Amino acid sequence: MKKNIAATVVIILVFIGFSLALFISQYNKPIRMKESVDAQWAQVENQLKRRFDLIPNLVETVKGFAAQEKEIFLGVAEARKSYFSAQGVDEKARSAGQLEGALSRLLLLQERYPELKSNENFLKLQDSLEGTENRIAVERKRYNDQVRILNTYVKTFPGKFFASWAGVGQAEYFEVPDVQQETPKVTF
Amino acid sequence: MSSLSRWTSCPNSLALLSFLFCLVLPAAAGGFPASYVVDEAGIIDTAVANRLAGHLQELEQKTSAQMIVLTVSTTAGVPIEEYALEKAESWQLGLKGKDNGLLMVVAVQDRRYRIEVGYGLESIIPDSLAGSIARRYLVPRFKMGDYTTGIYESAVVIMNTIARAEGVEFTGLPALQAQPASRGKSPLGSLFPLLFLIIVVSSLVSPRSRGLLNILLLGSLLRGGGTRRSGGFGSFGGGLGGGFGGGGASGSW
Repeated sequence: MKKNIAATVVIILVFIGFSLALFISQYNKPIRMKESVDAQWAQVENQLKRRFDLIPNLVETVKGFAAQEKEIFLGVAEARKSYFSAQGVDEKARSAGQLEGALSRLLLLQERYPELKSNENFLKLQDSLEGTENRIAVERKRYNDQVRILNTYVKTFPGKFFASWAGVGQAEYFEVPDVQQETPKVTF
Repeated sequence: MSSLSRWTSCPNSLALLSFLFCLVLPAAAGGFPASYVVDEAGIIDTAVANRLAGHLQELEQKTSAQMIVLTVSTTAGVPIEEYALEKAESWQLGLKGKDNGLLMVVAVQDRRYRIEVGYGLESIIPDSLAGSIARRYLVPRFKMGDYTTGIYESAVVIMNTIARAEGVEFTGLPALQAQPASRGKSPLGSLFPLLFLIIVVSSLVSPRSRGLLNILLLGSLLRGGGTRRSGGFGSFGGGLGGGFGGGGASGSW
């Protein structure tokens, strides 16, 4: 009889311990997911910053060949400024897209200024810029993947409950704004 | 294009060679590459490909950097940047922690190339350098239809750059360097093609140069044994997964 009681107690204890462990791991899960999202966002921002730092050099180089294209330089400067003051994922994504558009207009100048196209310094800056654009695309995709994991968890059962207990909500996707997808038009 | 369809279509051909390729291709499609030079498009001269594979193997032995050259006919509409990154990650090039993988992809029909640089090599080969190397050594040759020389020379320049940064010496690597673009033609410049020719010819003549098939077969044997991290230097053993972040350069010719 005693043996039976002891066995029951052990089973109950194991069950409680097991569910507690399960609960803790489930509770921590959305927190870890949120951490991954934040870490990945930092990567996106690193690359956006990197592009940001490339701009002055690029603009100076292009100015040396096409100083009269004031409108284009102004566009880059404005986009750069608006990126600076942007807050949050959505706003940053939009201003980053604006900056990208302004930069591709700047790069398109090489079609009108052949000396620019054959200038090694310009080509190198263009390589760096393209490399950075590609890095941004990569990090953006990784960020969105992390967001998808978190948001799916937060939206579905039973993650829903654990997420709200842990106080973790959905994260914002880094959407590519429409402005960026149109090809910039060069007026002659 | 799935690896499965390629795999199953192989036995239809009776040629021994294609049978051998059946052993090799599934590995090339997933897992990790069969050799340092994966010439799926068949545009590199075999002797030069062997020579290059030897150099790349030496590079890995001496610096632990893993560099692979891949040629395909087309990436089937996928941007070459995405294609290269996906390949580099699925092949797990470079060592974990050191992130010293590098993948050079040429898509012949698309007329696009990409040099994908792992995180750990980005400081040695920044995007601008990757771009200059390709513009100087790869594009002019490709325009003339000389894929072999374009690939070989640009790969050698990349290897020399890594070797110099790591402070190691290579045996028999042509002295091509990624010099800053000089306005005038250097008198030394005319020596490089000659040097290259000597090396190519010597590799053709020398019976001791490793056969590509050897490397391929050894690679597939090791894979059959299930050893991922084979210590042997004989074949490409597969990296442990270095990180790639989209660094490098791409372009067209």
